[in-house]
Amino acid sequence: MRHSILLLTLCAAPVLAGPPVKPVPDRDLGLSRTSVFEVTPPPLFHDEASAPGEKSLPKRINKEYPPVIPHAVADFLPITQSANGCVDCHAVPGPKQKGEATPIPASHYVDLRRVPVVKGEALVGARYVCLSCHVPRTDAPPLVASTFRR
Amino acid sequence: MSLQLTRRTFLKAGFTTAAIGATGLPLEALPTEAKGWNWERGVCRFCGTGCGIRIASKEGRVVAVKGDPQNPVNRGLLCAKGYACAQILYGADRLKRPLLRKKNGVYDKQGDFEEVTWKEAFDVMKAQWTKAHQALGPTGVAVMGSGQYTIMEGYAAVKLVKAGWRSNNLDPNARHCMASAVTAFMQTFGIDEPSGCFDDIELTDAVITWGANMAEMHPMLWARVMDERLRRPDYRVINLTTYANATSEGADLEIVFKPNTDLAIWNYLAREIVKRGAVDQDYVAKHCVFAAGAVDIGFGLREDILKAYPAEKDTLARQKTVVLTRDEAIAQGLNPDARHERPQTASSTPQQHWLITYEEFQKGLEPYTLDFVARVAKGDPDESIEAFKAKLVQLADDYANPKRKQVSFWTMGFNQHTRGTWVNEQAYMVHLLTGKQARPGAGAFSLTGQPSACGTAREVGTFAHRLPADMTVDNPAHRKDAEAIWNLPPNTINPKVGSHIVQMMRDLEDGKIRWLWVQVTNPFQSSANANHTIEAARKHDNFIVVSDVYPTLSAKVADLILPSAMIYEKWGGYGNAERRTQLWRQVVLPPGEARSDVWQMMEFAKRFTLAEVWGEQPIPGLEAPGFTKGKLPDVLAAAAAQGLKPESTLYDVLFATNAAKACAWPDPVAFDKPNSTVVHANIRWFPEKALFEEYRRFGLGHGHDLAPFDTYFQRDVAGLRWPVVEGKETLWRFNDEYDPYAKKGSGIDFYGTAMKKLPSGDLTGPKPGEAKALPGRAKIFFRPWQEPPESPDATYDLWLCTGRVLEHWHSGSMTRRVPQLHAAVPEALLFMHAKDAEKRGLKVGELAWIESRRGKIQARVTLGGRNKVPRGLVYVPWFDEGVFINKVTLDATCPISKETDFKKCAVRITKVV
Repeated sequence: MRHSILLLTLCAAPVLAGPPVKPVPDRDLGLSRTSVFEVTPPPLFHDEASAPGEKSLPKRINKEYPPVIPHAVADFLPITQSANGCVDCHAVPGPKQKGEATPIPASHYVDLRRVPVVKGEALVGARYVCLSCHVPRTDAPPLVASTFRR
Repeated sequence: MSLQLTRRTFLKAGFTTAAIGATGLPLEALPTEAKGWNWERGVCRFCGTGCGIRIASKEGRVVAVKGDPQNPVNRGLLCAKGYACAQILYGADRLKRPLLRKKNGVYDKQGDFEEVTWKEAFDVMKAQWTKAHQALGPTGVAVMGSGQYTIMEGYAAVKLVKAGWRSNNLDPNARHCMASAVTAFMQTFGIDEPSGCFDDIELTDAVITWGANMAEMHPMLWARVMDERLRRPDYRVINLTTYANATSEGADLEIVFKPNTDLAIWNYLAREIVKRGAVDQDYVAKHCVFAAGAVDIGFGLREDILKAYPAEKDTLARQKTVVLTRDEAIAQGLNPDARHERPQTASSTPQQHWLITYEEFQKGLEPYTLDFVARVAKGDPDESIEAFKAKLVQLADDYANPKRKQVSFWTMGFNQHTRGTWVNEQAYMVHLLTGKQARPGAGAFSLTGQPSACGTAREVGTFAHRLPADMTVDNPAHRKDAEAIWNLPPNTINPKVGSHIVQMMRDLEDGKIRWLWVQVTNPFQSSANANHTIEAARKHDNFIVVSDVYPTLSAKVADLILPSAMIYEKWGGYGNAERRTQLWRQVVLPPGEARSDVWQMMEFAKRFTLAEVWGEQPIPGLEAPGFTKGKLPDVLAAAAAQGLKPESTLYDVLFATNAAKACAWPDPVAFDKPNSTVVHANIRWFPEKALFEEYRRFGLGHGHDLAPFDTYFQRDVAGLRWPVVEGKETLWRFNDEYDPYAKKGSGIDFYGTAMKKLPSGDLTGPKPGEAKALPGRAKIFFRPWQEPPESPDATYDLWLCTGRVLEHWHSGSMTRRVPQLHAAVPEALLFMHAKDAEKRGLKVGELAWIESRRGKIQARVTLGGRNKVPRGLVYVPWFDEGVFINKVTLDATCPISKETDFKKCAVRITKVV
């Protein structure tokens, strides 16, 4: 609870002048609520374990942010030159059908760097490594609240 | 890869493909945009790739970002971090007011943080500055800067510290990032920064990564590599690394070598190139010379052991004396059966080098046979020596093939290396020998980690030894140039190089620096051997100011925390790894009382009069022609003659100059975008533009030309690669077809001028005789392989390597506040080999102690995932302050570049019980 009290004190403070705010010891600042001299055991988190399609899709951050991978990924990695376990399922034509993977969107078939060999038929090579943009997830809750909104 | 779309989807895709024009590039091939969004161009906040970004704002807030399709760096794509450039502004604990440690209403180092006004913050900060300055002079104060400074911020810091305070104690976190690249560029070419550009990725035949996990650290460059690899079967990707990583997954060939043995592999390659007759004789004869340097140069460790923990002393002893191992003796052509005790006599002159003959160069390479190098360098104990040898041969086959072009990329694996300068130079050695440097698609190419490591730290010169445009403080002609541009009296600038960032930490511990301002970096998390540094910060008599956007670990150890504006809350500019300068407009206002770093420096400068700083000043150890020993002269009288009065403030003299005020605000280039620096300073001029235009004067006419400020905001400009001459950028430097500074008809002209007059000698040292000038030439260095300062032994039996992850930027202060990035990689794990874990009774997810001679911390074990380490090595990312791995790492540096080696030290792992 210390965490949320601090957030209130730091963020809800009036912009210019306001009532005096309670002093904050350094251990209560930042992402680790410890003294910099202390060595504490890090918490245990678990990788997402659900199979594809098992859980409903999480709400997207916005349409510019690549969707987070909602299922376990270990079985589909690594992505190599000859094997791409993501594409194996997601290269469906769309629109999304029940029981099918989320289709790779049309944007991924448009080469923005050069004229493609065959326009719009192949996944653009620059988008081949899915994990560069689409992140997996664990059960870790946010460390700090976000005030981002669109 | 043969992903096919059905006809239906292909037609659906038509809305974008139809937009492809004659060039094949759609102008706006993006989804329809929300109404009321205002899009502005900018640059990604994170790595040295410098991806172009579009920023959407609505009602004063950034609501989204996307990749800029017009930017040739990234063509519309961003990585998982880049897409979060909107969210990083909105962590709920953004710093919005200055926080000062207080007890009973007054500053107290042992107090808790209380909100104060900017006035009170600056009052205390100035009083503490004066206290340190009066006790110790200009060397008692310091500023730690950043490769994430905007160009203008870095330039303001150089002026304030070097011209104003006459201290050279300004050094960036970039010291930890690419200082070795800088020293190698200077020693090899006589001028800093890469000859090539990112276009090389599409033009080469092979991308060879050395200590560069590009797939995670430069994902959008990796996207270009993979794109090319997937369309060209003869394109090769080779990854040299000390553990299997994400880059290995996309590579054709992976070579896992033992930490530090990259130097041996390069020498094997050079030897092969010579033996196979693959030297480009014409290129070498016309454009190169051979060189060697001092060998017994130490490891950049402390020379004294006064502050050392008992367990540290044996490693520190190697700073003084090294007894060569058998293999080291062989590598130096010595009798392996004899004892060779080597006092590290060149530890204070490690940069010394001289010319040698081609025959002498070959003599140096001779011990580096395939058999020897394979034995020394094989990094995976579970790989057979034959398999490893076959890989080295394949590597040599590619480099030695005159028909194939290669680009060698490296990042921290080379730079964070106790022989970082040497190993950088060895990459040039191979590329120069084969004539594959400064040509389209061919070259050794240092990738920078930070967004403006090049643009600010290097080009502006925020290093302890630098002035703008590659000039240095210890060069009288350079000081004179700077004093002319800055309108300073002669001998205002201090000729003694200041403390680099590692030395600053040691100075803090030794009480030699007692006032420190940290800007745009988190050095108490990012510096090695952190138990010493955090103790020095918290328990010694000093005053530490941290300007940041979030409360970082450094903020926790600070005495005063100042809230800063973030990237799109201020005007700025970055310079990426391919010399591309990109500027941006302010998009939104900073929150609360957060202020731009430019405002902070200008405002603080108002509290200094010339009388305080330009009188005679003590500088311990200063010895320079024209200066009294140990002293900077009083320049107040000369200043008065120039119309600068003793009571003038540094703000008046350095920032609010007549030339600066001529850059009026409002300015049409703003297109009605705000400038909070102007508002908060209550001025009618445009500080960021004034700083940029003045800075630009340093580089014009000698190979560092930048375009005028306004040019970078033109709609058809997505950054420009310097030198920009007559409006045209330069893709390949030193090549007379592309670089206007290369003499026409020369083919290649290595026109850099630094360190281009050398004596001659042999591998053991220079001989008496006339120094020879080397106009137009680059140096091919012979550099031996040596053992590192600390290797695994019976007590500390594993190598520790540290580094980054794709999802987090540096110390995580921004990305760990982005929920999906945090959820993706919530903490730093200890990557171990299954057999090493089993031996210690450790299973996945269990807690382990990681302990070195310097400290110990806990982390949870992982046995797989993105990094697959060989037996004998463990890997821990450093982004997580909760897994404070820099309490364990060793503060050894490259003795030439002073860059810390975060890639190897010895640790032991035990189960937490």
